[in-house]
This record gives sequence, structure tokens and C-alpha cells, in this order.
Amino acid sequence: MNQFTFEGKEKSVLIGGMVLGVVCLALSFFMDGSPHAGEIHSRFWTNFLHNTVFFTGIAFVSLFAICAAISAYAGWYAVIKRIWEAYSLFLIVGIVLMLVIIAGIWGHFHHIYHWAGEGVTTIGSDNYDKVIDGKSGFLNPTFYTLATVGFLGLWYFAFARPIRSMSITEDKSGTADYAIHRKIKIYAATFLPIAAFSSCAVIWLWMMSIEPHWYSTMYAWYTTASWFVSALALTILTIIYLKSRGLLEDVTDEHVHDLGKLLFAFSVFWTYLWFSQFMLIWYANIGEETTYFKTRRDEYPVLFFGNLIINFLLPFLILMRNDTKRKFGTVGFVSALVLFGHWWDFFYMIKPGVLKELVHAEGAHGPLPSVAGFDYPHLIELGVFIGFLSLFLYFVFHQMTKASLRPERDPYYAESIHHHS
Amino acid sequence: MKEYQEVLYGLYDDETELMDAVRKANADHLDIMDVYSPFPVHGLDPLLGLSESRLHITGFVYGALGTLTAFLFMTWVFTRDWPIIFGGKPYFSAPAFIPITFELTVLFSAIGMVVTFYTICGLGPGVTNPTLDDRITDDKFCIAFETNGYSDEEINKLKSFFSSTGASEVNTKTI
Repeated sequence: MNQFTFEGKEKSVLIGGMVLGVVCLALSFFMDGSPHAGEIHSRFWTNFLHNTVFFTGIAFVSLFAICAAISAYAGWYAVIKRIWEAYSLFLIVGIVLMLVIIAGIWGHFHHIYHWAGEGVTTIGSDNYDKVIDGKSGFLNPTFYTLATVGFLGLWYFAFARPIRSMSITEDKSGTADYAIHRKIKIYAATFLPIAAFSSCAVIWLWMMSIEPHWYSTMYAWYTTASWFVSALALTILTIIYLKSRGLLEDVTDEHVHDLGKLLFAFSVFWTYLWFSQFMLIWYANIGEETTYFKTRRDEYPVLFFGNLIINFLLPFLILMRNDTKRKFGTVGFVSALVLFGHWWDFFYMIKPGVLKELVHAEGAHGPLPSVAGFDYPHLIELGVFIGFLSLFLYFVFHQMTKASLRPERDPYYAESIHHHS
Repeated sequence: MKEYQEVLYGLYDDETELMDAVRKANADHLDIMDVYSPFPVHGLDPLLGLSESRLHITGFVYGALGTLTAFLFMTWVFTRDWPIIFGGKPYFSAPAFIPITFELTVLFSAIGMVVTFYTICGLGPGVTNPTLDDRITDDKFCIAFETNGYSDEEINKLKSFFSSTGASEVNTKTI
């Protein structure tokens, strides 16, 4: 059986998850202790941004993974190609969700981005900030809108959708000249450099600009590594689920083993980037740079150290052995763990920054007040996570019904079936 | 350990013949001493009943030893033996120790595993290991039986096994 059918039961569960997400988003709209909560609803908007960026990133990285695999003449991934294709189409939902954030910037509904505040770049204003004014060529609502919509649109309309549709056309082609595969290869190779540069720009805009005085050249790498681990973890969980439904017969523990190796390797890679970013800033000890880590380490120790334990220590020690990468029980457990862990990582990157900018905009200094929903993920935040995860899976399962899960005409399909890791 | 071994070995021309021969030897309950090939043959290990190598466990132990050595040594040096302030940091500056801890973990793990591997296999400088046939390092695949104290009848049985499985040559050697 290779045709995925979206069962009514699954639909009910996922719709239930989405309802939970909406309820929790609404709760975070009203139950908010951050400054000026009545006007700018920071808890709601940060939850929204956090999950939107996280899941849009998973879609982006899945597309990147397909393109990298095709460009590298990789064969093993062909049996799981349809999962990544379905993930990558979620970019269209990402555009819609980011448009909500953009509308919020233009309408001043939220204050996630201090650089978008009134008077921040107007000389003579009380809010005037010379540093931000110097960066205003990049950090302004117009560029934010153009880059977000432009790059996401480029990824989706110029790459994700054409690659997906060509891949489905390939299923029906009766010829053996691989003309379609050659064409996909051109798209894939074109996407890689574009993705590398454009993803950096949107990561700076979406997340790093939350603290506009602070900057790090490793930030984009670090975020992309986080997305990659999340995408791999979600892929492994999806495979385990689909196999439990009797689908994806050709995916064996050899493929899961390879994904497990990637999960292990990219967890270590993520840690390497995390540490490199931390140590250089810690060692140089320049005030405008250390403020990022000092705030997080001293005032959010649960976020700071929890991040390292979940995303490095546990996957490193559990996945080190050969057989834990092959057994669905252990690799599934670690996948669920690091998927949550990297969601936590994004929480760590976004939430304290927004709160800090809000408090500092008041002219206050010293330790930040402890605000629910900003200190560590509360039940409401977890509910929002479940809501967005359900939306993602609902969309992905819907896309999976549109094509066979077995891309039989892929030139690497036979190689992939016999893959031996 | 025996002083010498009398070995009867057969050479095969490709790995599929070798694999079939090993399967037949298992079916006939012949006691294979060893199999030699110029490159790793996939699926041969389980056929020979070889268990998974435990070398990686030693690797973990050496690595953990390296981690502890580096971290504890640096801690001792910078807090007890010769405390110096670097860049305004405290004496005990864990983040600054991490890169060296990492390096020493890798170094201990790698060198420890190499030494262990060489010791187990009896390899190393100055050691000469007898080769059954030089061509098994090039293009021949070999199954070897130890025949110390074997009767003619048993040796003939092995020879007929080689001829029935398509061995291109059968030789004896004392090593």
C-alpha cells in the first residue's frame, strides 16, 4: 500500500489539536503580564512568531535537504522523498502566517521589533536610537515585508512547488531518459546558493532583529542547524507513524539508521555552533555582545542549561550507540525529545529578547521582571505548540494524499530500496 | 598458543563464489579458521558468526578518560598550581577549557583505539605476520581451515568441499 489516505480519525485528532492551539493563543492574548500587555499583547505575538518561524523553517530545510540530496547524487533518500516534498509545501502557509506578523508591524499591533517602533529612527524624537537608525536601511518595515514575502514566495513558487509537481509528473512518465530528473537537478542546484543567502537575511529579520543592538555572524547558521535537526526529528517520527499504518514498506531500519546518524551529527553540529557563538562572545567580553548571553544565563538558567541538556547531552549519549539509531523505540524517543528541544531553543532565542527590549524601552535597567510565558514554556505555550504542530501535520497529510508515497520512477528508487547503511 | 599451524586453504575468484562457499561450509558444519579478502565483503560477518566488535566501547572509555584528564588537569593548574588571571576571567573558567577538553577527548579516543586494535590483532612495528598467499591482498578470496592433526580422510573431505564450490586453487601451508 503506497497511497496515503487521510483517515477521519486523524483529521479529528489534528483538528482537535488546532482548536487547542487557537484556544491557547486566545488565552495568551488575555493572560499576559508583560509591559503594556493591554495594547501590544506581547505574549500572544511572541507565541505566534515563535511557532510560525519554527515550522516555516522546517519546511524550508526540508526543501533544502531534497535539493542537497539531488545535487549530491544521493540515492538513499528516494524512499522518503515524498515526506520532505510534503513538508516543503508548508512554505505557503508560512507566507500567510508571516503576513499576519507583517500586518502587525505596519499597524503597530505588536512591539516584537523595537526598530519598527514610532520615532526610533526620527532625529529629535524621544525614542530616537542612533544605533538602530544606522541599521535602518535593513531594519525597516518595507524591507521586512519585501524580504519575507519575496524570499518565502521565491522558495515556494519558484522551487518547492515546481519540484513537487515535476516529481509527481515523473511518476507517470513512461520513458527511461530521466529528462524530468535532469530538470529537477537544475532547479535543485539553483536553489542551494539562493537558499543559503536568502535564509540568512530572513533569519536576521525575523529573529536576530528582536534585539537590534546585538548581532552575531553565527546566528543564521545556528538557527538553520536548529531547523535541520527539527526537520530530521519530525521526519523520523512521521516515518515511524506511517510505518505503523502499514505504509512506506520500502523504508527499512537502514534508512532510519541513516536519518538517526544525521540526527546525531546535526545535534553535535548545532552544539558546535551554539558553543562557538557563546565562547567568542564570552571571551571577548564586549558589553553590547555579552548582554545577550548574560541576560539568558543569569535570569533564565532553566532555558539556558535546559537547552544544552535536551539538545546536546541527551541525544549525544543516547544516539551514540549503533543500535539505538536503528530501533524505532529509541530513535523515536530521541526525535520527540529534540523536536521539543529545538522548539525550546527558539523560545530561548525569541522570548527573553522581546521582554528585554520592552523593559529597556521604558528606560529601566537591571534584572528583568519574571513574566509568565517568557520565563519558560508554560502550558499555554505548549498548547500553542501542539496547535501549530497539528496545523503542520494536517497540511502535510493533506499533501501526501495527492501522490503515491513511492516515487517509483525516480532514477534512484531502486538504489534506495537496497540501501545498506 | 600453538607453535605452528598447518593450514589448508582455497582461493576463489570473486566474492559471490566466496559467500556461497561459506554458506555451504556452514551447512556442512565445517570449522572455518578464517576468511581473507582484499576488501570488506558485505554480509560476510554474520555468515561467519562474528559478533559485533567491542572496539567502540573502548573508544568511549578512552574518550571519557580524555575528557576527565583534560578538564581536571586544567582545573588543577588554573585554580591550585599556577593561578593566573587571563582576560579578567575567573580562575575556574569552564568555557575556556572546553576546546582543549574536546581535543583531548578525540586524541585519547583515537590513539587508544589504534593501540588497542594493534594489540588485539598482533600488529605493530617489527611484527611479521605470515600471509597465506600474496594474491589475497590483491584479487583473490580465500577460505582457510586449520588442519593440525587431521587425518587424510578429513583433509580429503575439505578438498572435495573446495572443488565442489569452485575454488580456483587449493594449497597447504604451515605458518
